[in-house]
Amino acid sequence: MSWAHHIQELLFPSTVQGGWVWVYIGAGIIAGAAALIALMSTPPRYRKAIVVAVTFLGGLFFSLEFLLPHEPVTAFGHTLLGKGHVTGFAQGLTNAKPSVADWAMIIGSFTLLLGTFNLFHVHGKAVRKKTAGWYNSLAFFISFFLIMVAGFAKDAMGGAAKTISTQAFAILFNGFVQQLDATMFSLIAFYIVSAAYRAFRVRSAEAGLMMGTAGIIMLGLVPIGAILTNWLPHSGPLASLRLENITYWLLTWPNMAVQRAIGFGLAVGWLAMSLRIWLSLERGSFFDRQL
Amino acid sequence: MNALLRFQNIDRRILYIIVAIVLSVPIIMRPARHPDTVFPEVQHAYNTIDSVPPGKIVILSNLWGAGTKAENEPQLEALMRHMFAKHIKFVLLSWDPGGSEISWQSAERIQNDVGAKYGRDWVHLGYKTGAANAIISGFAEDFQKVFPVDKRGTPLSKLPAVSYVKNSGQIGAVVDITSVGMMDTWISYLTSPKHIPLIYCPTAVMSAAAYPYLDSGQASGMLNGAMGAVQYETLIGRGNVATDASAISWALSAAHIYIILLILMGNLGYLAARRAGLITGGRRIG
Repeated sequence: MSWAHHIQELLFPSTVQGGWVWVYIGAGIIAGAAALIALMSTPPRYRKAIVVAVTFLGGLFFSLEFLLPHEPVTAFGHTLLGKGHVTGFAQGLTNAKPSVADWAMIIGSFTLLLGTFNLFHVHGKAVRKKTAGWYNSLAFFISFFLIMVAGFAKDAMGGAAKTISTQAFAILFNGFVQQLDATMFSLIAFYIVSAAYRAFRVRSAEAGLMMGTAGIIMLGLVPIGAILTNWLPHSGPLASLRLENITYWLLTWPNMAVQRAIGFGLAVGWLAMSLRIWLSLERGSFFDRQL
Repeated sequence: MNALLRFQNIDRRILYIIVAIVLSVPIIMRPARHPDTVFPEVQHAYNTIDSVPPGKIVILSNLWGAGTKAENEPQLEALMRHMFAKHIKFVLLSWDPGGSEISWQSAERIQNDVGAKYGRDWVHLGYKTGAANAIISGFAEDFQKVFPVDKRGTPLSKLPAVSYVKNSGQIGAVVDITSVGMMDTWISYLTSPKHIPLIYCPTAVMSAAAYPYLDSGQASGMLNGAMGAVQYETLIGRGNVATDASAISWALSAAHIYIILLILMGNLGYLAARRAGLITGGRRIG
C-alpha cells in the first residue's frame, strides 16, 4: 500500500470503531469550524475566487468523468481516443465517485444544520421580542424538542424508556406530523374544485377542445370510465371508442408529442443554466452582495 | 333562465362540503372492486419486477412524504408485496425524512402480513441528503462504501439481503417513487449508463410528462399515481381485496365526476348569462 493510501486511510478511514468514533467526530467538527473561520476571514475578493474555483472543479469532475473514454476508441486499426493515460485518468475519476458521494452527503447535512439555525434565529427572535403570533414560534420550539428527544430516545435507550419514547414518537409523528402534512396537501383538492368550477369557461373553440380532452382523461383514468363505456367491445374497431382507450391514445400521442417539445426546450434551458452556474456567470445574491 | 344563471355562483362553502362528502364516502366504505383495465406501462412495470434475476436486488427510492402518501404509499406497498411473493430482495432508500419513516412503517406492516424478515428479505437504508446525482453515481461504483450501514446502524455486511451487493452489477431494477421530478437523475447517472431497468412511480399529476421516457425505453414501466397502484394490485392477484388503493380509485372516480358536473353547470350558467346579455366582452383563448 502506498503512502498516499496510508494518509487517505488515516484521514478518511472506511470503518472506525470504539472510542475512535468520537475522536474522528471531534476532529471533523474542529476541522470544519477551522475551514469556515478561515473562509470567513479571507478578504471577499479572494473568497469569491475560492467559491468560483470549487464550483468549477466540482462541475469539471462530473463532466470529465462522463465525457472521457473509459475504453480506447478505435477505428480502422487506429486508436482515435482514449490512449492509456486518458482511460486511466477517466477510470481514476470513476473510482473516486463513491468518495464524492460521501462528500455530497456531508455537504447536504450542512444544509440541515443551516435550516435549523435559521429556524431558531427567526423563531427565537419572535419569542424574545413577543412579536405578533409569538406563541406560534413557541409552538415550534416545543414541537422541535419533543420530537427530537422522542426520536433519539427510541433508538438509543432500552427497557421502559424505549417503550415510552417509541409510543411518544408514534403519537408525535403518526398522529401530528403525518396528519398535518397530509391535511395541508389535501386542501388543494378543495381549491382545485372551486378554481375549476369558477375559471373553466368555454369562451373559445380552443377552450372547448381543452375541456373535452380534460373530461375524457379525467374519466378514462379512473375505474368509472371503463364502466361508462363497458357496453362497447374490448376488441375490434369499436373498442377504440372505449374511454380508457381514448385516454391512452391522448396520453401516448398528442400528449407525448407536446411533452417531447417541452422537454427539448427545457433541456436547452438547463444546459445554458448549468453552464452559467458552472462558470460562475450567474449573478444573484451570492455574488452581488459581499459574502 | 334564472335557475341556470344561479349555476354560475354556487356558494363555495357548499362546493367544499360536497367535495368532502364525495371523497370521504368511498374511503370509508372501502370498495374492493379493482378496475378491469390495466394500462400497458403498469403491465411493463410488473413484468420488469417479475423478471429480476436471482442474486440481484431492487432499489426502491422514496422521494415523498405524508403530503402525497395517498398516492405514493399504495404504489410502494403493491411493489413490495410483489417482491416479497417472488422472493426478490429489495432496499428502501429515502430522500425525504418523513418519507423515510413512513416507508419503514409500510414495509414493517407488509413484512408482518406476509411473514418476511428484515435483513433477510429487505433492508432500509434510511434518509439520505445531499446531491442525489453524486450519491447515485457513487453507489453504482461502490455500494457499501456509500451506504456502509442501514437505517438502524447495522453494517450492510451483516445483512444477508444486501451483504453481497458490491456495485451496480447486483442491481436488478430501480423504482423511483416520487412526488418530485427525479427521474432524470436516475436515467442520467445510473439506469441508462448501466443498463438497469427503471420503473417510475410519480403522483398522477406528474405522469403525463413521463410518456416520452416510456416510449424511448429509458423508463421500463410506470405506476401512474394511485390508479397505477390499484392496477398493479390487480396484477398481483389482489383484485378483490379492499385496499387503500381501491378506495382511493373510487374516491377519485366520484371526485372527477363531481368536478366535470360542476364545470358543466358553470358553463351552462355562463351561456345563459351571455344570452341574457349579462356578460359582455370578446372571445378569449384558453
